[in-house]
Amino acid sequence: MLMARIAAGERAALRRLYDATSGKLFGVCLRILSDREESEDVLQDVYLTIWRRAGRFDATRAGVMTWASTIARNRAIDRLRARGPLAYADQVDDLQLADGAAGAEAGLLASGEARRLQDCLSQLDERTQRVIRSAFFEGVTYEALSRRMDTPLGTVKSWIRRGLARLKGCLAT
Amino acid sequence: MSETPDLSEAEAFAAEHALGVLTSAERREAERRMAADPAFAALVEAWRLRLSAMGEGAAPVAPPADLWSRIERALPANDDSRAVRLWRRATAAASLLAAAGVAAAVMLASRTPAVVAPPQPGQLLNASLVSPSGTTSVPLFVAAYDPIRKALIVTSLVRPGKDPGHVHELWVIPADGKPRPLGFIEPGKTRAMPMPPNLQPSLTAGSSIAVSVEPPGGSPKVDAPSGPIAAVGKLSEI
Repeated sequence: MLMARIAAGERAALRRLYDATSGKLFGVCLRILSDREESEDVLQDVYLTIWRRAGRFDATRAGVMTWASTIARNRAIDRLRARGPLAYADQVDDLQLADGAAGAEAGLLASGEARRLQDCLSQLDERTQRVIRSAFFEGVTYEALSRRMDTPLGTVKSWIRRGLARLKGCLAT
Repeated sequence: MSETPDLSEAEAFAAEHALGVLTSAERREAERRMAADPAFAALVEAWRLRLSAMGEGAAPVAPPADLWSRIERALPANDDSRAVRLWRRATAAASLLAAAGVAAAVMLASRTPAVVAPPQPGQLLNASLVSPSGTTSVPLFVAAYDPIRKALIVTSLVRPGKDPGHVHELWVIPADGKPRPLGFIEPGKTRAMPMPPNLQPSLTAGSSIAVSVEPPGGSPKVDAPSGPIAAVGKLSEI
């Protein structure tokens, strides 16, 4: 199995994983960072992380793609947060304008899970959809969301919590 | 959809952690809880899985052609296989290394400039355990002590299944240089080990945490490792 071979130090195995997943993971980094150069750095870091952590990959818990894209998203969000609060606030505003991109993405969805999630997300009200999406792709905390929307933190929190509960219910049906 | 039941408090927290809306302090709390509570960790994993499909919505973009060669150049010699090689060498030369290993561990402990300041409540102490032979700085184990929960969280980075005839026993060596046994850690596993009151004062910044290779059941001696010290590291504040 590929991950076991990577854990054993086989570079060719990592190369195979890279060929199969780098386009998708680069897409995730770009979507979060909107910056090519930073996304390249993060992507490099992602594969080095995969190399180091391959031994801890547990196929019973998640697929390789899910595991790898979670690493990519977390690394990209770390990078976003490292830009500091000011740059970060700008980034948030920029991306809010670019929110229509979600519609274009819908057509490119690959897996059945992604389509299902998309369906379930679209059943939420517009505002809840947007905050969940922003949180996921921009790593925005409750505090930042509350400042940005000029809404009390408790309110934002209850939107998201209710939205997540509904998502879970919808995905389970 | 109006009759959707609320998520339990634990699941809501897990989902928020997976989504990434928590502050850094809350994220650390969630990570600690994941290490200590497998049921909570499973909730977080399940939410990561649910939400990861959102990431698939990002359109794939081919990275630049030279990126792979950049990655390949940056690859360290594989950590895992190197750890295993060290491990084999350590077990093979058991008797020879035993004295030297313990001496190295004790020396590291006595080199400590006493105990620094006592940790502030809530402050994690971390140790990265490396081979005492000093040939590499690749950690074989990582440990963190949580003074609030009074638990030591240990992760073994050693590949499982390589040396079924031995176990890895953990020790703390405080400023007095006397090793005290903490328990066992299986290769490749993470464990949160509650620390009894008599050991808690030993787990301070500057104390060493060591792992010895022992026969099944642990060191036959009560208060010292019998096998070689495979890795050692000092606890320090983040």
